[in-house]
Order: sequence, then C-alpha cells, then structure tokens
Amino acid sequence: MVKLGSRADMLRVLSDEQLEQIHVATIEVLENTGVHVGSEAIFKVFADGGADVDPRGKTVKIPRHLVEESLEKKPKQIILQGRNPEQGILLEENRVYFGAGGTPVPYFRDVETGKLRTSVKRDMINATILADALSNIDFVMSIAGARDFPEEVQCIHEFEVLFKYTEKPIIYHAPGIVYAEKILKMAEAIVGDREQLRKRPIFSFYCEPVSPLTFYDAHDTMIEAARNHIPITLGIAQIMGATAPITIGGSLVVGNALNLASVVLAQLVSRGAPIIYGNFNNALEPRTAVALMAAPEKPLASACSAQLAQYYDIPSFGVAGQCDSNLPDAQFGAEVMLTSLMNALSGTNLCHDCGYLATGLAGSLEAQMICDEVVGIIARIIEGVEVNDDTLAVDVIHSVGPGGNFLSQSHTLKYVDKALYLSKLFDKTYPATWMKAGSKDVTEIAREKIKKILREYEPRLLPKDIERRLSEILKESEKELVKR
Amino acid sequence: MKTILDEVVESVISFNSEKVVENCKKALDISIDPIKVMEDGITKGLRIIGDKYERGELFIMHLIAASEAVKKALTEVIEPKISESKERRRSAGKLVIGTVSGDIHDIGKNIVAAMLFVEGFEVYDLGKDVPCEKFLQKALEVEADIIAMSALLSATMSEQRRIVEALVAEGIRDKLKVMVGGAVVTEEWSRQIGADGYGENAVEAVRVAKRLLGREG
Repeated sequence: MVKLGSRADMLRVLSDEQLEQIHVATIEVLENTGVHVGSEAIFKVFADGGADVDPRGKTVKIPRHLVEESLEKKPKQIILQGRNPEQGILLEENRVYFGAGGTPVPYFRDVETGKLRTSVKRDMINATILADALSNIDFVMSIAGARDFPEEVQCIHEFEVLFKYTEKPIIYHAPGIVYAEKILKMAEAIVGDREQLRKRPIFSFYCEPVSPLTFYDAHDTMIEAARNHIPITLGIAQIMGATAPITIGGSLVVGNALNLASVVLAQLVSRGAPIIYGNFNNALEPRTAVALMAAPEKPLASACSAQLAQYYDIPSFGVAGQCDSNLPDAQFGAEVMLTSLMNALSGTNLCHDCGYLATGLAGSLEAQMICDEVVGIIARIIEGVEVNDDTLAVDVIHSVGPGGNFLSQSHTLKYVDKALYLSKLFDKTYPATWMKAGSKDVTEIAREKIKKILREYEPRLLPKDIERRLSEILKESEKELVKR
Repeated sequence: MKTILDEVVESVISFNSEKVVENCKKALDISIDPIKVMEDGITKGLRIIGDKYERGELFIMHLIAASEAVKKALTEVIEPKISESKERRRSAGKLVIGTVSGDIHDIGKNIVAAMLFVEGFEVYDLGKDVPCEKFLQKALEVEADIIAMSALLSATMSEQRRIVEALVAEGIRDKLKVMVGGAVVTEEWSRQIGADGYGENAVEAVRVAKRLLGREG
C-alpha cells in the first residue's frame, strides 16, 4: 500500500505553445551548446551512448533523438519508498506531496533561545523525529546539519539520522561516488542486500548538477544511483542573471537542458532508471548578490517547472516552505504560503524545504511545524470543490427555507468532518479567549507543541543490530575519509 | 572639448570592451603616460560606476560588466606599458582568489572578484576546483596581501582549513590575510580554522577585504 496524494491542476502559467517553445529552445541548447562534463565517468557514458563529444573541451552535445529516446525510456511513475512500506508515496502526473527540509544548512534556530547558532547532529535528530511525527509531511530531508562532525563525513552522519529516525521516504545528497557507496551499504544493511534494495529502494539520492550546463565528479553519484535503480531526485538550481539568463524563460531553458541531459545520462546507464525532474530558478538580489528563494519570480518559475515536468511526463521535485526571512515572523508566513501554494497548485509532486529559513541557510523546528500547518491548508485547497446533486443540496436548502439555519441538518453532520479543514496549530479564537490563554503568537504555540512531541513521540527505530551496523559503517568511513 | 581620456571614461561606463581598448591605444599613441591613462581613464570610469552602485542607481551586474569591460585594455594595452616604464599602478592591495579543490561553484567568487577589482584591488582569480598548492604558489609569486577562498559544499569546506594549515607550514601565514566565503561558511567556521575574515555576501566581502588591509569599510 502506498499513499496517493491529491491531484492539482489549478494553476497553469504557461500555454501549450509556450511549453513547446521552451522545449525547442532547450533542444537547440543541447544540440549546439551542449554540456560541460568534468567527470570522466559521466563523459564516458555520454560518449559510449552516442552523444557528440569533444574530449579536449570536455563538452558533450546531445542530439535530439537521444533526448527523445531517453524520455521514452524513463519511468512516468515512481514509488518513493519509506522504511515502512505504508509510508511510500506514488509520484505521477500532478499528485502533490510535501516534505521537510532539503540539503544541510549551516545555521539552526535554537528552540530554547530563539537565536541562530551553528547546527549540530542533535538538531537534525530532533528535526527528523518532528518530521516523522507531523501528519502533513510525506517525505523527509534535512533542516539542520551534522556540523559537529568532520566535514568529510557530515553527509554520512546526516543520512544515518534519516535512516534511524523516520519511516517516511528519504531524499538526501551524497556528493560523489565515495559517499554514494557508503550510503548504499547503509541502505543494504537495512533492507537485507543490494537486490532487495533495488526492488524496494528506501531512499532517493538528491543530485545537483551545476548550472549553467555542468557535470563534475560529485555527480558520479547519479551513475551509481541509476545502475542500482535508486531514484535520482534532481535539484538543478540557477540564479537568474548570474548562472542563467535573468529572464524566467531563459533560466527555465538552462535548467531544463541540464535536467534533460541528466535524464539521458540515467537512461544510458540503465534503461528505466527512476529520475525526478527539478528546475529551480533563484533570483539574484542585484544590490547585495544574495540568492533569493522567495522573490516572486521564483515561485512563478516553479509553476512553470511543474508544467515542464508534466509536459515530459516525468515526476517532479519542487518546493514548499521556502523563505528569505531569517526568523519565523510575518514575512516568513507570507513567503512560505506563496512558495508552497504556487508549487502545489501547479501539481508539483514533491514539494520540499518545509522548515528552512534565511534563503535556505538556516533551519528551525518552529518553522517546520508552522509549515506543516501551511501545507495542510494547501492540501485542503487542492482538493478543490466537489459539485454534484448532493453537494448542491437543493433539497436541504428547500427544507430549511428562507431565514432558517443549517446547523443541525443531517446534510451538515454528514459533511462537517471532511468539508472543513481543522487547524492544528494556528490560533483561531476570539480575542478574550486568546488573551485568557496567554496572548501567545504562533511561534510560541509551535514551540510548546514541539517540546511535547520531542518528549512524547516515539519514532519506530531500527533493530539494534542494524543500528550497530550503521555505526560501524560510519566509523569505517571516518577512518577512511577524515584527513586530520 | 572631450579629451581622449574622457573617451576612455565614457567607454568604461558604457561597458564597451572594444572601445576601451581602442581609446586606451589612442591615448598612448599621443604619448599620454600609461599611469595617467589608467588613473584618469579606467579607474575614473570604474569609480563612477562604483559610486552609482553605492547610490542605488546601478546594480552588481553593472559592476561586473564594467570590470570585464576594462580587463582586456588593462592586460593587453596598459599593463605592458606600465611594466616598461617600471612605475607601479596604485593598488588597494593584491588578492589571490579561487574556489577550493573539489568544488566548481564559482558564481559567488566571481562576483566578489569583480567587486574587489572595481574597488581597486589587484585581483588574481585562480578559477574553480583550485588545488591548495596553487593558492600558495600564486600568493608567493605575486606577494599577495590576501588569499580569499570559497567553498559551497560541506564536504569541500575542509579544503579551506587545509590551505590555512599549509600557509602555517610554509611559514607565510603571518605575511598575508586569509578570507573565506561560500554558502556553507560561517563566521564561526572562519574563526575555527584561523582565517582573518569572512564575507557573508559579496558586498560584505569587499568591506572585510578593505578592513583587513587597514582601509575604510
């Protein structure tokens, strides 16, 4: 059994003709400009696969037919598996799911002091337990980082936290073959062996080829993932005006080209290798050079990216909960609703980043909890409006008649559970009640709830022997990789 | 009446690389001192752009376009003449900059390099995926005042520490300042590895560089 997210096609920014134009422009870029491939392993895959390669310049030009064949081979549906099979989610077309966090962040908002400080592994454990507990969160990444461990092995520590503390599907990064191998070992220890893992991959490798149009050694992880049919989640991010044209159209083309090149790479490695489309377009603040996550242009472009993924019939990776604000304040609220809503309304399959602050440089448990409510509200929105004889309720209107009320009608009782979204966190009381309850704002209420969850919630942990095996793999990795 | 130096300034502030080259050549042809062409032409033009940026009339992209517009004239036309005349151009300081080994994310580093250049620094940009030894070698070769290095991944941050350690091992740590930057880098990390300064964004990086060399900022 897997979970089925609601479908959403409420927002279409691009017309069919505009989608076609972006596709044609992208093919032109792939055929004439090509991609730069700094990795020998990836270069070899393209060369053997029939791309037009230039070993001196390390450029790879990808002919249209190769793109088209690869788009035929790639799966249209992917089940993102959790450690618990019931937590798996089916990615296809325009089904929407929400996820906590993204890649690791340097800062964490201390839940006791409200101050930003360096994030540590304990923060990531708490964030993962919270994400496991939150009912609107379907998949888990990270809003912290194991910065109290040597840099060379932080991502292995972070993967360990995800494997241990959540049963939901995991998406996480492992930049380079050395890391990918360690993570595969961990996952094998959990599911039994490589063959089991291939049948039921309990995580997805997050991969970030670099715009404009570049692969290098860190992306060899994609080869390892494709070979083992571990889903690849692409997070190809451009900064408009810096690593891509400043116009949304041009930026989408740059991101689309690298996405399609990645699809070709994965299908050349192994036909049918699962891969998820992600095309992010950050805006450059032209006075400070800060790469913005919540400038209006980004969610606007995100809606276009969702449409492009649907155009290619490939599962998509987008965002929810992105903000530029440094704390969970009013700006945060406005930004996370904007970014989450635009992605969800356009039918993005995986909307990640709930719990991020500060353009993705900080994480916060309060932010993650508030985003759980925001995406819960959005999940209600995308359910849309049902119109049929029963919901139009003409009989009921007639029997209540002018001036009556509908409170106790059996029709009302029948629908009250599902017709209305019940807030779990946001305060919805009148002023006297609110004052009596301590005049608290939402961050404070979130903080109290978080403490309760962290005290009481018990995530289903791994069996002790598997936990030990993961620790061993970590120790071995430290020995091998830590240079000092 | 517009002088040829006015023409140089104009070509700089219209970001026209070919015109900058052409006008600089013309100025040298009529025997204007290359230092003067540099200071009353190119530097003056860059300063106008910099001031407009400070006032919010132009953006970071304009600073970068201006720095790129003058690069060719500087390296191909002006600097060969200056080295002949044995005089030195006035510089705010010499800075060696690059993205560390294993990392190819260089857009932030490029922005910082261009802004420092506009501010009058002599910038030696080593590019991306730069091995430790190359930072050291270049710093020694040009007698750099500052080494600035960028890292975007937690896995490549440790290279920054390695470079600081290598500077210590070579006995040249005290001879120059070290700046670090990149999305994963923080003030705390900068202190931890014994760097002298950290710029959270490009604007901040310029301020820090000036401060480290005892200038305003």
